[in-house]
Order: sequence, then structure tokens, then C-alpha cells
Amino acid sequence: MAELLEISHLSFRYPDSPRKAVEDFDLAVPEEEIAVLAGPSGCGKSTLLRTVNGLIPHMYSGEYTGSVKVGGTVVGDASMRDLAQKVGFLFQNPENQIFMFTVERDIAFGLENLGVPRQEMRDRVDDAMRLLDISDLALRAPHELSDGQKQRVALAGVLAMRPKLVILDEPTSLLDPKTAAELVGLVSRLRKELGTTFVVVEHRLDLLVKVADRMVVMSDGRKVLEGTPRDVLYGDEAEGYGVAIPAVTKVQKLLAKDGFVTRQDLMTPTELARALVRRG
Amino acid sequence: MMWLSGGFVFRRGTSVYHRLDPRVKLLLSALMFVTTLLVRSVYELALVLGFMVAVAAIATVLRRVARTMVFTASFSAIIFVLNLVFTGNWVTSLLYAVRFVAIVMSTSLFFITTSPDELEQVMKTFRLPRDVVFAFVTAVRFIPVLLLDTLQIMDAQKSRGLELEKGNMLRRVRNMIPILIPLVVNSVVRSGELAEAMESRAYGAVAHPTSLVEYKSSLADKAVAVAAIIVFVLAAYSFYYVLPAKFP
Amino acid sequence: MAIVGENGAGKTTLVKHVTGLLKPASGTVLVDGGSTASTSTAQLSRKVGVAFQNPDHQLFSESVEEEMSFALRNFGFAPELVEQRVSWGLELFGLDQYRKSSPLVLSGGEKKRLTLACILAWDPEVVILDEPTVGQDSIQKEKLVQTIRMLSTAGKTVVVVSHDIEFLWPMQPRVVVMKAGKIVGDGPASKVMQEKDLLDSARVAQPELVALYQSLDVRPPDPFVDPLDARRWLEKGGTGR
Repeated sequence: MAELLEISHLSFRYPDSPRKAVEDFDLAVPEEEIAVLAGPSGCGKSTLLRTVNGLIPHMYSGEYTGSVKVGGTVVGDASMRDLAQKVGFLFQNPENQIFMFTVERDIAFGLENLGVPRQEMRDRVDDAMRLLDISDLALRAPHELSDGQKQRVALAGVLAMRPKLVILDEPTSLLDPKTAAELVGLVSRLRKELGTTFVVVEHRLDLLVKVADRMVVMSDGRKVLEGTPRDVLYGDEAEGYGVAIPAVTKVQKLLAKDGFVTRQDLMTPTELARALVRRG
Repeated sequence: MMWLSGGFVFRRGTSVYHRLDPRVKLLLSALMFVTTLLVRSVYELALVLGFMVAVAAIATVLRRVARTMVFTASFSAIIFVLNLVFTGNWVTSLLYAVRFVAIVMSTSLFFITTSPDELEQVMKTFRLPRDVVFAFVTAVRFIPVLLLDTLQIMDAQKSRGLELEKGNMLRRVRNMIPILIPLVVNSVVRSGELAEAMESRAYGAVAHPTSLVEYKSSLADKAVAVAAIIVFVLAAYSFYYVLPAKFP
Repeated sequence: MAIVGENGAGKTTLVKHVTGLLKPASGTVLVDGGSTASTSTAQLSRKVGVAFQNPDHQLFSESVEEEMSFALRNFGFAPELVEQRVSWGLELFGLDQYRKSSPLVLSGGEKKRLTLACILAWDPEVVILDEPTVGQDSIQKEKLVQTIRMLSTAGKTVVVVSHDIEFLWPMQPRVVVMKAGKIVGDGPASKVMQEKDLLDSARVAQPELVALYQSLDVRPPDPFVDPLDARRWLEKGGTGR
């Protein structure tokens, strides 16, 4: 069975730039997976994301070789209209993706653009609000909302289009730790309830590693590491690429090297305390 | 700045007036506007002003509108002085000055009770192009954001020693540059991000987008509109034919 | 010192009172013995430098050089001194190659370094950083830790407002916990970060090493400051059965 997202030998260079933003990139993400994309600032993550939802090449032109396929459709050949219904993109700043003066109208924005009939639109908007637990915010104005609420509104607007793949660009950067944890829980729940596939770019990994299936590290436009979060974080190279290894994982790695820990998966602080093996 | 905006910025309300169809609200303001222009005596002006004050009271916006009108009055003082200089007639000069305030008030009553969504509805009724309507609605939606940005930029620059309250006119204008440039740059960046989000949500995919909300005017709305037209015709008639005979 | 608390707890509001951007409704704020009520922000900023979260709210000059001179000129530094400080700051933060470039073409991380360089150029006694780690990768954060330690060694008071508990923990600052506009906790990191109930009610995360420490049956007097500490203790048999 073909994977939902297939990136094959993708290279892209912006017109004014001397070097390639993405170079010879390959990635296959199956359905219902949560994949994390990490790497130092400026490594090309943002560019890569835009090749997946079609902004590259439809909105931004440049030197493009290789291919990106979502659900079998080649992104370069499809229209933004088709792509918008296959790939949702939650941008980093929730403020700059809310257009309308009322929450429910903004959630309907994409559906209005697609010419969805009113009754169906109403149902889908209500569904999206229920999923994200924001039904009581339906008639509020965006400036009356907190950052966390704005983000949910923006996400609802994306989910209303019923995409199979959703891209999240640094979704926790503006959130405090508890709200960030809630968001990660939300992503996990959505994957289960809707079967949506998620590709998340993040620096704050300590929360995501527990729910992610795959971790990919990028540097200078290239893929440098890939594997389960545990494999990548346990390896010696991740830290050199600006990947923030959670403190307890660092301890686990050190102890594992000296044989004090045998469990293979990534543990929480309490789990680690319990799992220590007595030596000698 | 704040005084002026108080009377024109929409804030949610539940009064009977707020709940009228926006097209009826537009009609009412337009009629009040024209009636004010027809006024030629102090008595007529008092009637029209009284009517508008009553409307503002029904719409529970009286305080904000009143504050803006006081501010507007300081502008109309210029009209008063100019008229006095050219005609020497105190009554007429006062009349024109107060009439100016009344005109501003009639437009204020529309904007203060009509949400951007309703404004969009009205614009669509007038068959304005979709892009224009969308640009307008988005612009209004971002006004609070821009205000907040401006405050944050001012805070940041003050923290670098920028004194906004000191100096002569020229210095003060120059001190606006560290505020304006970040504001403009951020707005441009914001537009870029908005464009990406619009594309990603299929803006422009279909020639005639559908709409989640529909504004239908009820019988009550239509009744109010008809009543307003009748009152207007009566007022215009009396102002023109009946009253000048009885009052100077 | 670190100020922690959820969004909306009042951390930034508190910071704004220190430089007079906000004046107290009641009570007083004293900076260097003087009340902020009657002093302008510009004057207070000479002693207290605040690095706000968003560098794009500040950058406006034609060149990085100009940008760095802005505050210095506002504060009345003599031209030769301005030149000296600008060069020093650019060197320290590795931005010298951008001296003549427009500040707007710098990357996000470089812009953050620039705004910090601008502040240090006028050498305030107190430096306040508002959410300095947002959007930064681990290498950039490590550099930031080094910078903060350097400032502290130089005798400056550094206040960091941040959510990033893991970033703050190794520096073992004095921690002030805020909730709904009030200070609900104030003490050394090693103590405050152990009070789970307090942290939970203020919606503040607990550092992973502290959580690990508290899960052990046998522990040292203070929580582990870094992973190597933890390893050392645990391998010496520091856990109960």
C-alpha cells in the first residue's frame, strides 16, 4: 500500500538564493502516523512543509526537482483547491490565519471558498468546534480570545476541510507548558478519532516524543537522521543538530551505557526511578 | 484619537436597534443624514437631534456617541467662526455648527451598531467585488491587532530611551519613525502570512463562494424601514412647506 | 532570577512596572531607591534593560550599526563612546559581519542576538529577558545560557521571564512563581521547584530532573542540577528497592 505522504529526491532552491533550501530529501509517512520534524533554525523545515501542502510550487516558484505525492496525487500537478482538501496547514502564528470577525465564520472560511452548500457547511463547522471543544466560542471575535483559543480556532478551520494530512508548524512555541501538553494530547486524540496523519515541526520535543511514531532530523536542507523518537534521541548525533533531548532521556542514556537500565523505550522520570537495575 | 473611535467602533449589543437588519440600519442613518441637511431652523434641528438622541438611547450607545459628539463639537467650532465672520448671523452660524455634529452623529449610529459581518453583508448587497469586501472585512478584523502592535512597539522603543512626549513638533514627528517602520514592516509580513493561509484554504477556488450565515430581513425589519420612510417624508414635507411659515 | 507562571498570570505586566511602562495603581515600585511613578521609561531604561519577546517590534534602522547606536544616542552617550560600544557588542554577539546590513534581513535567531546586543551596549545594571527561548533550537539556547552566566558574573542582575523550565533549571536561579497577578512562590530553584502542589496550581511544569529526584526513595539533599549529577548518584546505588 502506498504511503500517504511520499517525498522523493526533492530539491528546491529559492530564486534569490545561492544554495538549496531542501536537498535530495526522501520521506515516506504512512496513514495515521504522527511524524516529528526537527532540526536547527534555518535548516529548511519551513520550506519542506510548504512543498507538502502546495504553497511550493503554486505560490512560491523556484528551482524544483523531485516529487511530492499526497494520497497518490502529485502536489506539483494538483490545484490548491484539491490540495486544500487533502493537506491542512496550521501556521505558527494563530493570529495571522484568522480572517473573519466571528469564530464560526472563520472556521467556515475554507468551506465557503470551496462552495460547500450551507447546510453541510453548518454541520462541518459545528463538528469541528465540538472536536476542539470550542463550541461556546462560536460567536466571539478573535481579539477576545487567548492564544491557546485562537490556535484551536485556526485548527478547527483546517479540520473543517477534512484533510487526511495535517501539518503543524511549531504549534507549541507561543503556549505555556500546560497548554502545550493539552495540544499534544489533542493531536493524539484527533489521530485516533479521525485517523488523520500529522507532520509536526517542533523544537520542544519533550512532550511530543511520547506520542510521535517517527522522528526526522534535518540540517542544511538534508535529512540527517530518521527513526523512532527513541532511536533518534538515544543516538549520539541528535544533540549536534540542535535537537533538544529531554533531561530524563539524557539520564536514561547515560545509565543505559553503564548497564543500569535495560528498558529500551523512552521513560518518564517516575518510570526511570522504578526501572533502575541493581548492579552486583 | 480614542474619543473619535469611541463613537464609530462597533461593540456587541443586544438592543432592538442592534438586532435590526443592517440594511435597515443603513437606511435609517441615511434618512437621518438627509433630514439633517434639510434642516433650516433651530426648531427643526432640535427635533432631528432629539430624534437621534432617542435612537441612541434605544440602542444603548448614548454615552459613547455623546463623547464623540463633544469631540466633534470642537471641530464644528471652526464652522461656527467661519460662518459668523462671513454672515454675521449668530443663529445661522450656530445652526450650521450644530448641524455638522448632527450629521456626524447620524453616521456614527450606523457604524457603532453594525458589526463587520453585517457590514460585509451590506457590501455584498451592493454587489461590490468579492476581493474588495474580503479586504475590507479582514482590515477591520485586524484593527485591534494593529492597535496592540502599536502599543507594544511603543513600549519597546521607549525602553530604548525614546522619549515620545518631549520636544517640539519636528522632533515629535521624527520620533514617530521608530514606531512607524516596525509597524509597517510587521504589517507587510503579516500580509504575506495571511496570503499563505488564504491560499492554503482555497481562497479563489470557486467564482461564487457560499456563505455560512444568511441575513434575511424579518417582517419587523421591513415594518421599521417603511415607518422610517414615512416619518422621513413627513419631516421633509413639514420642514419645507409647513414650518418656515410658522417659525423663523 | 526567573519569573514563571502561565500565560496571563501577570509576568509581563510586572516587568512593565519596573521600567515605568505601567504605573502602579497602588503601592510603589522603587528602582535604585527612586520611585518609578515620577520617572519616565526612557530614564528608567538606562538602568534596566528589557529585551522583549518580539525583535520585530524594535528593528527599524538602515543598518545594524545604526540600530545599535539608537539607544546609546538616546541616552546621551558621546559619539566616540557610541562607536566603541557598538563594536564591542557586535563582536561579542558575532554580528560584526552584518555591521552595514539592514537588520531586517537577519534570521530570527540573529535578530534576537541583536536586540540583546543593543541592550548590553548601554550597560544597564539590570537586564530583563522576556521569553528569550521562544523558537530557539538547543544550540542557540546553550549560547543564551552562557551569555546569562557571563552577565551574572559581571555583577548584573538578570531576570528571565520564561515558560521554559528545562532551560532555567540548570542555572539554579531564584524562582518567583506568579498566578493570577499575585506572587505565590519565591525562593531558590531547588526548593520552589519541589513544591508540586504549588506548581500545579500555577500551571507551571516541574523540571524532569526534579520529578526524577522526587520519585527516588533515597536522595541527596538537593535535586540534581544536570543529568551527570543524576547519573553519579543513581549509579552509587541511590535508589531504594
